[in-house]
Amino acid sequence: MELNRRNFIKLLVGGAVGIQVTPLPWKLTDDVAIWTDNWPWVPVPPRGAFTSVKSVCTLCPGGCGISVRKVDNRAVKIEGRTDYPVNPGGVCPIGMGGLELLYDKDMRFTRPMKRVGPRGAGVFQDISWEEAIGTLCSRISSLRSEGRPEALAAVDGHYLRGSTMSVLIERLMKAIGSPNYLRVPNSEDTYRIAGALMTGREGPIACDLENSDFVLSFGCGFLEGWQGAGRVINAWSILREKALNNKAKVVQIESRASNTASKADKWVAVKPGTEAALALGIGHVLIKEGLYNKEFVNNQCFGFEDWTSPDGKEHIGFKTLVLKKYGPDQAGKLTSLEPARIVSLAIDFAKAKAPVALFGKSKGLLNGSLYEFMSVMALNALSGRLNQPGGILICDPLPLAVLPEFQQDAVASTGSRKPRIDGAGSSSYPCTRSLINNFADTVAKSDNSPVDTLMVFSSNPVFTLPDGGRFKRALEKTPFIVSFSPFRDETAFMADLILPDHTYLEKVDDVVWPAALQFPLYGLTRPVVEPLHHTRHSGDVILQIAKKLGGSVGSAFPWKAYEDVLKIRAMGLFKSGPGLVQYEGKTTFWEGLGENGALKADYKDFDGMWKALKSNGLWYRPRYAAGAEQSLFKSPSGKFEFYSTLLETVVSESAKTGSRDEILDAMGVHARGDEVFMPHYEKAAVPEGSGNYPLRLVPYAQINLSSSWVPTPPFLNKTLFDNELLKDESFAEMNPKTAAEYHLEEGQRVWIESLSGKVKVRVTLFDGAMPGYVFLPRGFGHYAYDEFLRGKGSNPNTVIHPSKDPLSGLPVWWNTPVRITKA
Amino acid sequence: MENRAKSSEKSKKGGWIFLLAGFVGALIIGWVVFPMVLYSKQPQPFNFNHAIHLNPEKVEGIEGDTEAERCEFCHGFRDDGTFIGIPKLSTCTQCHDDPESPLSDLPAEATFLKKYVATETQVPWLSYFKQPDCVYFSHIAHVKIGNIACKTCHGDYGHLARLPLYEANRLTGYSINIWGKRISGYKKHTWDRMKMDDCADCHKKMGHPEDNACFVCHK
Repeated sequence: MELNRRNFIKLLVGGAVGIQVTPLPWKLTDDVAIWTDNWPWVPVPPRGAFTSVKSVCTLCPGGCGISVRKVDNRAVKIEGRTDYPVNPGGVCPIGMGGLELLYDKDMRFTRPMKRVGPRGAGVFQDISWEEAIGTLCSRISSLRSEGRPEALAAVDGHYLRGSTMSVLIERLMKAIGSPNYLRVPNSEDTYRIAGALMTGREGPIACDLENSDFVLSFGCGFLEGWQGAGRVINAWSILREKALNNKAKVVQIESRASNTASKADKWVAVKPGTEAALALGIGHVLIKEGLYNKEFVNNQCFGFEDWTSPDGKEHIGFKTLVLKKYGPDQAGKLTSLEPARIVSLAIDFAKAKAPVALFGKSKGLLNGSLYEFMSVMALNALSGRLNQPGGILICDPLPLAVLPEFQQDAVASTGSRKPRIDGAGSSSYPCTRSLINNFADTVAKSDNSPVDTLMVFSSNPVFTLPDGGRFKRALEKTPFIVSFSPFRDETAFMADLILPDHTYLEKVDDVVWPAALQFPLYGLTRPVVEPLHHTRHSGDVILQIAKKLGGSVGSAFPWKAYEDVLKIRAMGLFKSGPGLVQYEGKTTFWEGLGENGALKADYKDFDGMWKALKSNGLWYRPRYAAGAEQSLFKSPSGKFEFYSTLLETVVSESAKTGSRDEILDAMGVHARGDEVFMPHYEKAAVPEGSGNYPLRLVPYAQINLSSSWVPTPPFLNKTLFDNELLKDESFAEMNPKTAAEYHLEEGQRVWIESLSGKVKVRVTLFDGAMPGYVFLPRGFGHYAYDEFLRGKGSNPNTVIHPSKDPLSGLPVWWNTPVRITKA
Repeated sequence: MENRAKSSEKSKKGGWIFLLAGFVGALIIGWVVFPMVLYSKQPQPFNFNHAIHLNPEKVEGIEGDTEAERCEFCHGFRDDGTFIGIPKLSTCTQCHDDPESPLSDLPAEATFLKKYVATETQVPWLSYFKQPDCVYFSHIAHVKIGNIACKTCHGDYGHLARLPLYEANRLTGYSINIWGKRISGYKKHTWDRMKMDDCADCHKKMGHPEDNACFVCHK
């Protein structure tokens, strides 16, 4: 009996047979199968009690109601609410991904920090809140004691004008004594100026999309996320249903076949920047053929016919201007459209019962062109589509209470009267309140920066501003930068001090009239979870900063908590008349807005209203706002002004400091005479040295990619196609004709270069791209945040060479001269 | 040639012993060693005495006319019909709310109060009956509609003064109660095992063979 090879094999065979008669192989197989269920990286939902918390999404100006499903204390899903009169149960991909913004630890600051590495490296060290607030306060106090509080500047990225956070930040700046309160420009800024100049009202401009039967959209990306996808996509579905019965039509005017253009009834591609010419060309046909609303124009408009001013001067009217300069041939040439097309568009517009012309560009998160917006407004006025069902609605702002007045001390009083660094409101830019592009230029070019300390709230200008990197260069010159961002974003990486805010799911904040909604609505978010980290609500931090600064600054903020401020403002809503704090969802909120019957409030007293606001997040008044009882227009003439007398006054005031021609040149306005004060087409300024840059760059946005200060939830990367993002490279869309001129193939790597900079991307051929143009998606090119966002694709903002929009001075980002070379 | 015959004879003779040795060895490994090695013994965070809690003479406040109702006081149903399972701290602190005043002199309670109630930490109980993620099970369907007593599937825990020893399968992480304490899988009582076949057998026996369709439990 020796253990030779044969016997060994027999041993093994015996063992093999034996093991079959034991539970081992069967149990092991079963166990291995279950083991594969349990690998540690396989996500398993927690077990626990199910609850739902209702809140409002604030990731974009749309203000959709959201319901967040939780298991015990863990939020697991965001859904749209059906009991919120903005978004009938819908929510956009970014809104749905909001939980990643909450829970992704790599993306967030968890506590206050101070910079310890070199500027821009993103290396920080934890500090306490006491130290953080103390550092900022001593910095501000020094500026005040040196008598230069104006060296403090603040950048505010809150979208909606009148947000309580914006009110507080502006109040803080005023109390400290600095005029340099800057806002990140979005389409609302351009709406505001257009509204002010033509109607005398600065309130929100809304559109009654759901009730229109002909939507002439000048670039509004309905399916790209324009003004709140939750509401707009529902409106879109209503329009499509009507369209099936030939009861509605959507015409999309855009140089690229976006999703919206592809699914519209008609797609009209005009050269970017010539939209005003198209609007006026359509106006020409309406006027010439007598297809305009004579009653409205003759009775409620000023400046249509030629007129004589009280000083005896003769002025041409809008009619004369348009008939002379914007005939189909002329407009066709400017826009590169067939004249017959312009005529047919005009006829379709006039034939419709409830047409509306909309202006906004892409997602609406960037400013537009002022004269273009005015031209499209004029089109609506010509057809009498202002404050009519289905048309453009001019509204009064939400009647929130004004915070009590406060006294500035001498230092603050002197400081806040100093001229703004960005020149907004000056003779060159009389209409605009904030010009962050000018601010960046001034600081970047200075030897001694006029800014000592910069505070950044709810924004990421280094990444989002279409400015070819100018803001970043300005930051490099700024001695001290403070970021309140909850996220580890590109701007925060340049900061010296971080005082991180909560994310939107962890705090109370307001939504002051969701963008473009037809009726007044005030939304209030509530914390869905307890704050996960040691962050603090920036509103509370402002109160703490004021208290620590003390003196007149402290007295300007006599409140214990941010919520107290919200409550004070909400009192204004209560006093303004009946409103509703519940929405059953059975009625469709876009119907019945024109009813005249008195509304009955569904709360008894202010406490009841406030309690409901806090738990349900809603106060609204489902009626078309403004102009019902009083006069709709608050312009000097009391009418809709084709010729803006307000603008004329403003320019005349500015002209006291220089010749009118000089002033208009400084404003970037090429027109002269009466044309300046009326909507007209201004040819885009081409920067010097652009001869070598024959193509034009147009950035575009899409619904599943965030281009704003809110980061894209990383899992949305999975929804991007291979010709949008492949591994780490993003793509530029080019028409095959244009690509052929440069001998470029699909997927080819190229440099896209402008006077400001260059980016490397790959080419994708797209018939829907206008020849001669290069289209780059906004939202790629992060180098901060976490591993999923960092290093993916290229940011077109670094290449954009912004010229200034005539009159408003806001950046022109849709027309950068570029050249393309193989990489 | 002679040697060869001899050696093959030798090996033939000794050969079957190896076969047998291998066979018996495998039997031992499979029936004895394997179950010992497969399960690890893990202590519960501290001892919970079911018997005391379910004895109305010892403990007041755990209400219920029947034993089942008393089980459901802690292991009951929420308003939306979901099953609570192993209760959270808030159930215990209905009575054990003050870390400074224990309701008994048992060391287990002292541990509980100090480590968990005082720090507001959930007790990390090890669950004897957790099923893999692929299994969907509705307690309310079985308890309220099927009228099945808790001990039918779980055995009689109510009278235990000590929590049974928790043994976890080293490969899968699940409790030994699922396969059953006997490695053979032989079942004497309904509560001995909780594998798929056991559920299927009971469904059939109770006249609900349709509940054995795959998607009923594997959603």
